[in-house]
Amino acid sequence: MMNALWVSKTGLNAQDHGLSVISNNLANVATTGFKKDRAVFEDLIYQIQRQPGALSSQDSRLPSGLQLGTGVKVAGTQKIFTSGSLQETSQPLDLAINGRGFFQIAMPDGSISYTRDGTFHMDAEGQVVNASGFLLEPNITIPDQTNTLTISRDGIASVTLFGDTEPTEIGQIDVVDFINPAGLQAVGSNLFLETASSGAPQVGVASEGGFGSMEQGFLENSNVEVVEEMVQMITVQRAYEMNSKVVSSADQMLQYLAQNT
Amino acid sequence: MDRALYIAMSGAKQNTLGVAAAANNLANVSTTGFRQDFEQARSMPVFGDFYPTRAYAMEERPASDFNPGTLVETGRDLDLSIDNQGWFAVQDDQGEEAYTRRGDLHVDALGRLINGEGKQMLGNGGPIVLPPFEKIEIAKDGTISIRASGDEPAVVADVGRLKLVSPDLTQMEKGTDGLFHMAGQQPGDAQPLDVAVQIVPGHLEHSNVNSVQALTNMLSLQRQYEMQVKMMKTVDENAQTTTSILDIQ
Repeated sequence: MMNALWVSKTGLNAQDHGLSVISNNLANVATTGFKKDRAVFEDLIYQIQRQPGALSSQDSRLPSGLQLGTGVKVAGTQKIFTSGSLQETSQPLDLAINGRGFFQIAMPDGSISYTRDGTFHMDAEGQVVNASGFLLEPNITIPDQTNTLTISRDGIASVTLFGDTEPTEIGQIDVVDFINPAGLQAVGSNLFLETASSGAPQVGVASEGGFGSMEQGFLENSNVEVVEEMVQMITVQRAYEMNSKVVSSADQMLQYLAQNT
Repeated sequence: MDRALYIAMSGAKQNTLGVAAAANNLANVSTTGFRQDFEQARSMPVFGDFYPTRAYAMEERPASDFNPGTLVETGRDLDLSIDNQGWFAVQDDQGEEAYTRRGDLHVDALGRLINGEGKQMLGNGGPIVLPPFEKIEIAKDGTISIRASGDEPAVVADVGRLKLVSPDLTQMEKGTDGLFHMAGQQPGDAQPLDVAVQIVPGHLEHSNVNSVQALTNMLSLQRQYEMQVKMMKTVDENAQTTTSILDIQ
């Protein structure tokens, strides 16, 4: 049947995906450590209907052929790892990485996932956990009787106990980095998993060897920019409308044919 | 049978192909770096052992539109677009050099620099592979400099240069993979680097599809198609009238 129908169907499909990506970004405009996605489109293969240079008579050739494109596809979504702005909260367990790097979170099944969300809490045993209650890796236990907790820019956690004047070192928060952070798999809850495309995690110390510094009392805001998403949304909506116009035109052509012959 | 029927039929059939071409342009209205295709019809006389009396319609794609698309600021270090004319050289699936305007680059797990379509970017000395880096800067002439992980801020390494070319546009054609190739390109052929091509870092080039034009073109083809069908109907009616003359009352 009509080629154009299927081609415009791919266009509608792509814009539909585009809108879901935008709405997810907008929904997460206030999510700590969120990294926005971008829908990546690519054109589908072209079909050669007539080869350029085919003979048009015994001694003449066609200067151009006919190659028809078959539409567009969503090649995937790409996480954009630009940094979000840092917001001061003054909470001792709010951490942000200013630069490259991820926190490690030990999942209940023993695997490790990675996050930029540094909203940490303390559980009943004094262990440092994220908002879902999963342990920070390597874990730090904050003793009873703690007066102040200090986390240095290179991730060393130290506490001052009541009655003490000297701080005691209780652990070190490592950070990890990936050669291709955009290849990480987002699994929700602000967590990412390592994939074949992200490369293996490289563990390091904050503020050293290319890693960002650890900032206590700060949180990293979402890197979604509302104005940009709004403009994207307008583009997507209009592109969707134009593709659906093609569908209705193709439909009218078939209808006209059916009614007039 | 009346030959007018077949001529009208060929017109209608070629119009549907034209609509498909316009639909493909519209479907790719938001594909990064996409170049819209032109579409035209040619009248094709029928040659044979007789005088050419008829001309059928024939749809063709004469070329793609090489006008630059809109540049959109993204602020990402690896989003590049080419200022005015020029092309990025990439490796196609056969390992040959091909050209694209698509510059949404990223680095894969092996450090290869690839674009949004997954095509390996070519540099001066072949495919570009980057060591782990903390910060990357791509200059206007395509020179890539990085601050490798762990290096002092003052240590900036030059790790290659993107191959930017500007071949003769009249010899470029879009292949079935959507990348541009040179007409009559032989395996191993490569275009020379053109130092005059400038890139704009932090921007992406949108599709150059003129959506209003593509939509209007599609609507005009639709009406043309309806005229062809109307012709077919008229021919049919003529045939019916002729038959009815012969009807024995």
